[in-house]
Amino acid sequence: MLRLPVVSRALSGVAHTKGYGAAAGNVRTAATTASNLVEVFVDGKPVLVEPGTTVLQACEKVGVQIPRFCYHERLSVAGNCRMCLVEIEKAPKVLNINSVGKSTHWLLWLAVMVLEDLNPVPVAACAMPVMKGWNILTNSEKTKKAREGVMEFLLANHPLDCPICDQGGECDLQDQSMMFGSDRSRFTEGKRAVEDKNIGPLIKTIMTRCIQCTRCIRFASEIAGVDDLGTTGRGNEMQVGTYVEKMFMSELSGNVIDICPVGALTSKPYAFTARPWETRKTESIDVLDAVGSNIVVSTRGGEVMRILPRLNEDVNEEWISDKTRFAYDGLKRQRLTQPMVKDISGQLVPTSWEDVLTRVAGALQGAQGKDVAAIVGGLVDAEALIALKDLLNQLNSDNLCTEEVFPMAGAGTDLRSNYLLNTRISGIEEADLLLLVGTNPRYEAPLFSARVRKSWLHNDLQVALVGRKVDLSYTYEHLGESAQVLQEIVAGTHPFCKNLAQAKHPVVVLGSACLQRDDGAAVHSLVSTIAQNVRVTSGVQDSWKVLNVLHRVASQVAALDLGYKAGVEAIRNNPPKVLFLLGADGGCVTRQDLPKNSLIIYQGHHGDIGAPMADIILPGAAYTEKCGTYVNTEGRAQQTRVAVTSPGMAREDWKIIRAISELAGITLPYDTLDEVRNRLAEVAPNLVRYDDVEEANYFKQANELSKAVNQTLLSEPLVPPQLTVRDFYMTDPISRASQTMAKCVKAVTEGAQAVEEPSIC
Amino acid sequence: MAEYIQVFRRALGQLGGHGGIRGLFYQLFRVNDLKTGALIGVDKYGNKYYEDKRYFFGRHRWVIYTEEMNGKRTVWDVDGSMVPSEWHRWLHCMTDDPPTTHPPVSRKFLAETHKFNVSGTREQYVPYSTTRKKIHEWVPPKAGSQ
Amino acid sequence: AFGLARFPQQCARGRGPASSSASSCLDRQTDISDSSLLVKKTKFGPLSDQDRIFTNLYGRHDWSLKGALSRGDWYKTKEILLKGADWILNEIKISGLRGRGGAGFPTGMKWSFMNKPNDGRPKYLVVNADEGEPGTCKDREIMRHDPHKLVEGCLVAGRAMGARAAYIYIRGEFYNESSNLQVAVNEAYTAGLIGRNACGSGYDFDVFVMRGAGAYICGEETALIESIEGKQGKPRLKPPFPADIGVFGCPTTVANVETVAVAPTICRRSGLWFASFGRERNSGTKLFNISGHVNNPCTVEEEMSILLKDLIERHAGGVRGGWDNLLGVIPGGSSTPVIPKSVCDDVMMDFDALIEAETALGTAAIIVMDKSTDIIRAIARLVEFYKHESCGQCTPCREGVDWMSKMMWQFVQGDAQYSEIDMIWEISKQIEGHTICALGDGAAWPVQGLIRHFRPVMESRLGQFQKEKNQQTTT
Repeated sequence: MLRLPVVSRALSGVAHTKGYGAAAGNVRTAATTASNLVEVFVDGKPVLVEPGTTVLQACEKVGVQIPRFCYHERLSVAGNCRMCLVEIEKAPKVLNINSVGKSTHWLLWLAVMVLEDLNPVPVAACAMPVMKGWNILTNSEKTKKAREGVMEFLLANHPLDCPICDQGGECDLQDQSMMFGSDRSRFTEGKRAVEDKNIGPLIKTIMTRCIQCTRCIRFASEIAGVDDLGTTGRGNEMQVGTYVEKMFMSELSGNVIDICPVGALTSKPYAFTARPWETRKTESIDVLDAVGSNIVVSTRGGEVMRILPRLNEDVNEEWISDKTRFAYDGLKRQRLTQPMVKDISGQLVPTSWEDVLTRVAGALQGAQGKDVAAIVGGLVDAEALIALKDLLNQLNSDNLCTEEVFPMAGAGTDLRSNYLLNTRISGIEEADLLLLVGTNPRYEAPLFSARVRKSWLHNDLQVALVGRKVDLSYTYEHLGESAQVLQEIVAGTHPFCKNLAQAKHPVVVLGSACLQRDDGAAVHSLVSTIAQNVRVTSGVQDSWKVLNVLHRVASQVAALDLGYKAGVEAIRNNPPKVLFLLGADGGCVTRQDLPKNSLIIYQGHHGDIGAPMADIILPGAAYTEKCGTYVNTEGRAQQTRVAVTSPGMAREDWKIIRAISELAGITLPYDTLDEVRNRLAEVAPNLVRYDDVEEANYFKQANELSKAVNQTLLSEPLVPPQLTVRDFYMTDPISRASQTMAKCVKAVTEGAQAVEEPSIC
Repeated sequence: MAEYIQVFRRALGQLGGHGGIRGLFYQLFRVNDLKTGALIGVDKYGNKYYEDKRYFFGRHRWVIYTEEMNGKRTVWDVDGSMVPSEWHRWLHCMTDDPPTTHPPVSRKFLAETHKFNVSGTREQYVPYSTTRKKIHEWVPPKAGSQ
Repeated sequence: AFGLARFPQQCARGRGPASSSASSCLDRQTDISDSSLLVKKTKFGPLSDQDRIFTNLYGRHDWSLKGALSRGDWYKTKEILLKGADWILNEIKISGLRGRGGAGFPTGMKWSFMNKPNDGRPKYLVVNADEGEPGTCKDREIMRHDPHKLVEGCLVAGRAMGARAAYIYIRGEFYNESSNLQVAVNEAYTAGLIGRNACGSGYDFDVFVMRGAGAYICGEETALIESIEGKQGKPRLKPPFPADIGVFGCPTTVANVETVAVAPTICRRSGLWFASFGRERNSGTKLFNISGHVNNPCTVEEEMSILLKDLIERHAGGVRGGWDNLLGVIPGGSSTPVIPKSVCDDVMMDFDALIEAETALGTAAIIVMDKSTDIIRAIARLVEFYKHESCGQCTPCREGVDWMSKMMWQFVQGDAQYSEIDMIWEISKQIEGHTICALGDGAAWPVQGLIRHFRPVMESRLGQFQKEKNQQTTT
């Protein structure tokens, strides 16, 4: 019932349905004209709001915060905590019914009834739409009394374990009881105790602390799209939990920790490790997928304690995926902390920077042109990318590849529109039809998928999928597994073409996993043609983008922008003597692919797949340890910030490359980060326009060029690599090193009880 | 005149008390002091304990360390811990009864033979951190194990 | 009981001489019903037999279609339907019928909310047969002995609001009642009285019987809607009101069984006839359930505004041990505040008179308690009932009623401080009006009634306990 038919939603202008309320208001809708604004008063201060605005939102508009527990602006309105009760002074005169259109007069009449009816009692500000002329008293005696009463009830059965509660210091209940509660307790009865539930290795539950605000339940069913959480029992015995003992299986589950207003749901890996006031917060971005979620890195004493989301309406709203949130313990394990070099016996032994740098410089001096090649992995920042590219170019080599393949046939990477998520993540909210090709956005880009679900829920987005059937958090039409379906769509013989033809704002999203196949160029060309055709039939204006590529790794767009070749085919065909692996942990090239005496240099931060096969290891910095530029799949440049220093002797990547260049006698012309970024701006100015998306165009030209591709389609089905939630947790060196992620994998395969730890609290 | 005689006598006493000019200089270089007094006793290691009540309190008892102790040459490298516990009491004026006249009660916690203090040497005890490592570094695989 | 919420108070305020403004919810309606045809009555009841609506209340006759037809049900229903929605609504408005579920909201007005331009969604009538209020047993008498009155009522009420179908949500415990009702529905279908082309009027109308699972809270209209939709029976926030978004997201009116069941008779015998009973604004006949310490507990149809004393003496055989043995009466089901004998002596049984007596008519379930009653224990048991039946959704009710229940049982023992009487009063005030639905109010009012009228009893109990405790410690 979450997804109501349009007709019932049309009516919810004045009154919201229970399932919708404010959540519907979040979806971007055209601004209402000023003429039908409603004037209300907040403590006598007049404010003009749109009809249908809730009392709470009206108060927020004038900067008055109403205390609340259950209300969350991105979730539907439950109105059950009753903390937001406020007194309303009704309008002095009754509405002139005759002046309103006939169709709504009954509604207004009803509203008048309500107004008269509810006048003596305070109303729940989060759910009550304002009426003309209301005076909202946010600080009256009655309002204060109501809040104090509710607060007393909430605290009646809440345990007094704040000193050992992980929420302490960032607890809504704590803060609001200081602000609005009474200064003494009258409750002398016994307190209620509730059994804790094991809902997986990420979320620790202390259910006695629960105040039954149901935010987590609403998050699970509305945002995450899993109906795992719910209430059982009633009255004082009501409990929040999974109905049967099971794991809360969602890729966005960690967000319930943030939205829980009390300490009932806390982070298991973070338990008892730090207090919010003793951590240093660094605003950064996440690089574990291509979405580039905005995060806050909490550190204490040079150690990452936890990762929290940061608000960015255009990217991740205020959610982050579980991998983003919990893989940080991978930053503390399997780290490369000192330079290493292979001794005579072939054993990697620690050595000094001078030693390795001279060795590398010497090797590079001895190898020119096509003897040198570099492969970059998925977590590399743009600064290191440009430095490495400059270094190799100085050596007359242009063998710079990314691990991820992108077909170079047709327009290839020459036109940016070919490889970006052009519609943008927030653009999905305006779309009415989405065709996914060979991707599982739920695990490849959970926040993008959450946005799709939001649009599916509120805007009746129609979703279709070509490729292996996967469990998405929204219903979709499955068009088939193989790429031949795309041909049928292009030819117009597929029944889905009818829907495509009717779409007003169509979006086609191609998963980057399809492009790894041998027929990647053909698939891309087909999708490009579909996008171009549907764009013509929809008659949408030019600013609307149809073709999208959803990447899976953070560095890919920046690498392509900087002119890296996609795919290691060139290196396999033309094995170099010196191979420079910059965070390349995909295992695309092995030692067997190279001549016997070739030298492999690995620069990166984790001993994963690339490091063991290297001759020389240069320890680099991970994303929390450097100020680096990353471009997400939309083409949005964002930067990480230094939260902690890199461990041991590890250094920032571009500085290492800069040092090598100096020793090799081809000094790169930059010494500071600003100078590197100036160089970046020379090559690709969009990379330093932070938080801005550089639009890509030339779709038509790209499509025409792609028609030159004459690859044959393979008959194998399009299978994204991450099919189930099991494949989601460990995808890159950091998450592969993370014990928490390993526990998640174990828990989803063997059940939550398999990773149960002895309860400490 | 009389005071000069006094000085002269003291000088003679110093010479005699340290065994001639050579002994005097040996003592002066080794201890940085010239003192004569009554030999109260000698412990089992050969440390000699003197007393002279004419000196100011606190300087009136002293020890001349032995030159070899437990196989270590202690002519120049002496150490306060070379004084055994029974003489330590007397030397530090905790008691006026030297162990020569009042033999110490034997206790099982008293060391039989002296042990040198190893602080500042290679053998010294160094406390180590018991907290967990913040960063676990990668250990490269053994060569040939692949 | 749930409708008890807040309407009666408002109406009472509107009645007072000070507030004769046009804003009262009733004044709009009196424009129609306050006609000079009505003679000002001063004496109410007893109801004569020919004026009874529920002629098989005691189950002495056949309840099936045959019997119902012989009692005049389904008589000229087609003609009523053919007169159209406006006519039916007008009759109901003239009759001055107020909701029989407890709140006493003017039925004609409520039903007319449904008469809005069609937006493509079907409209539904939901009949609240989840009669769970302790002491109340009027709807079950209708459903087991006169089910055709209800089925016909659904049709007439449904026609008045243009509903496509009626859902009768019947309490799970009412097994026999629901089977009788189902039989009646089936008979009506077979006879072509409902269903496609109901009664040959060209109007399609279906009736579904839904059985609940025994939660008291499902008697609250929005919780009932949730329950019909297959969700947990937890009240929804209002607004949106069911008339806007109700069952399955469609406009819905929730009406009590008795309200619906009297509608056909009103249409047949005219609204003026119905309005001739009872006081102004409290017109009509009403089913009263009299239980407790009376000689002859019964359910009886009587005129509104009858004196409480008359009602008990005439129909229930009087209070056990005589009127002077009366301690107090809960006049409208367990959620209404208790009134002591001094008030019972001359109070009239209608909405407004009971509001004046700081209680409510509620479902008109009169619980009589004589002097053998431990009134504190009685109220404690009621509060425990509400504690058990609280849905747990919103804070004041979930936490507050549990707290009150614990305290009430301490008052029963007397193991409490004097100041705690004021405290429980405050707690009940903190619950009242702060909850989503009226269950919180319903739990608070009995406690308030107890403290209002029986505070000396409570204080003496506390004193007694202290005395005994002191004696024990000294000996």
